[in-house]
Amino acid sequence: MTAVSMNRISLLGTSPRNAVMLAGAMIVMVALPYFLGQSWLSITTEMLILALAASALNIMLGYTGLVSFGPAGLYAVGAYTTGVLMEKLGWGMLPATLAAPVMAGLVGALVGWFCVRRSAVYFALLTLAFSQVIWTVVFQWYSVTGGDDGLVSVPIPDFFFEITNCYYFMLAVVSVCLFVIWKIVNSPFGMTLQAIRENPNRVEFIGVNVKHYQLASFIISSMFLGIAGSMFCVFSGSVFPDYAYWAKSADMLVICLLGGIYNFFGPLVGTVVYTMLTKIISEYTMHWHLILGGIIVVIILAMRKGVVGTLSAYWADRKSAAA
Amino acid sequence: MVWFLIAAGLSIIFGTLKVLNLAHGSLYMLGSFCCYQVTVSLAGVPGNFWLAVLVAPLVVALVGGIIEIFLLRPIYKAEMIYQYILTFALVLIIAEACKMIWGTGYHSVAVPWPFKGSVGMFGLSFPIYNLFLIAMGPVVFIGLRTLINKTDLGRNIRAVTENREMANALGTNVPRVYTGVFMLGAWLAGLAGSLWPPVSVVMLGSDMAVVIDCFIIVVIGGLGSLAGAFVGALILGLTTAFGLYLIPKLAVAFGFILMIIILIIRPYGLMGEPE
Repeated sequence: MTAVSMNRISLLGTSPRNAVMLAGAMIVMVALPYFLGQSWLSITTEMLILALAASALNIMLGYTGLVSFGPAGLYAVGAYTTGVLMEKLGWGMLPATLAAPVMAGLVGALVGWFCVRRSAVYFALLTLAFSQVIWTVVFQWYSVTGGDDGLVSVPIPDFFFEITNCYYFMLAVVSVCLFVIWKIVNSPFGMTLQAIRENPNRVEFIGVNVKHYQLASFIISSMFLGIAGSMFCVFSGSVFPDYAYWAKSADMLVICLLGGIYNFFGPLVGTVVYTMLTKIISEYTMHWHLILGGIIVVIILAMRKGVVGTLSAYWADRKSAAA
Repeated sequence: MVWFLIAAGLSIIFGTLKVLNLAHGSLYMLGSFCCYQVTVSLAGVPGNFWLAVLVAPLVVALVGGIIEIFLLRPIYKAEMIYQYILTFALVLIIAEACKMIWGTGYHSVAVPWPFKGSVGMFGLSFPIYNLFLIAMGPVVFIGLRTLINKTDLGRNIRAVTENREMANALGTNVPRVYTGVFMLGAWLAGLAGSLWPPVSVVMLGSDMAVVIDCFIIVVIGGLGSLAGAFVGALILGLTTAFGLYLIPKLAVAFGFILMIIILIIRPYGLMGEPE
């Protein structure tokens, strides 16, 4: 798998065909508001934010090989930072949204420092524990976070009430963020992370401080999760404790898995598939989590590479068969 | 002490199978609901609660067995992350299944005969049932120690924990031991789940609360160690009680602060081995 996944990453690099595809995708995204109705545009905007969150999580999950069960905690830190600064302290939108990744990065640094101290098992366990701490804090700290009620009247500029404006704004932010993530994971730093994923012991022997790199990955991931949270706050004008709840983390994990975690575009495809599935299934049943859990089980037992991974393996097979 | 039962199950499963069962709290919650169900169905039958305590953990152990055989067994060879995510999926499934069957309301179970009422001690009054629960902790602890250290089954478990390939080569049926250990862990969670309702209520959401507490316990005590689970549960219990007494609103935080302190000064836990 090492060779295959590495190969695929370089394959999606800078070849002209991919550049054309990317440009095509961009044009489609820019043209979307002319084809979609209000409600679908709103769903697409939500998808953009979710895709950013999932890609942020995937820096840890797919590239560093650390399973975090607490991305929702950091997502909520971002959302609450923006929400509280704007609603309670009257900050403008720009500083409030810029503060979100800073705050999420700080919290991520603190939490991450504890989480990478021991083996992968402790990492999983501690990320879940810490995200529940964040949830509890949010829930209890009524005077600042509004507790159970959340923040419902974040003063978002009027500009964003027009869904088309909001969509373009999110598209721009998310594209820039994804580009930065792309640059990071394909830099020497990102390659080191992938090496750590494949064999931490060996990387340690070469003289790399694995824990520092894992922590760095955690912080970067946290910052982008913070941005995603903050963007959702801008989009919806409200923040609720649910953002930090473990079920939200489950959503993000499923998205990464659905799309395929060893691929940059996995979380993006996963978001689309996941959102569509939610739409379709929730029309038939209220017990969406049951199905969601079932989907994860099926993916893990039968389709571990996710949609993108499975498809590209299929294409690779066809190509080699043709050659 | 109920915490100890759950943490012990989590710890045993991890020690032998090397799987971190995130759904352990869900098994506990399932035990609670089953206990409630049996107690209610057998209302009027004498000793209905005790029958429930007998039946519910067995049901949970059975569910545990099914999970191990059909879901975990195919993916032991795959990377660890898939195991975590799979047990995480089980959290979703079990929580939603409980919601479908028993609804979102609170259910309560009466304190059973012969432990009704309370006794006075040191000028304070303690419900007898709580004292019974406190006594259960050491009893189960000693029972488990004996099982693992003195019996053939225990010898097999220790052999597999020590070296899976070697035990397999020497004729131990490793898959069966795995299933057995997982069922034992599930049974403990189910037992805890069915003993707790008379003290509190049966409700959704207890799964996550419980599993987080268990994580704190195993971090304090050291994952994979029975004694660690015991000591961790005691320490967490005392700390939380102390916290409730001092600052009720922040009682939860005390457990976490404790965990953080342990992580800083002794990251492998009080009873754990340094790696």
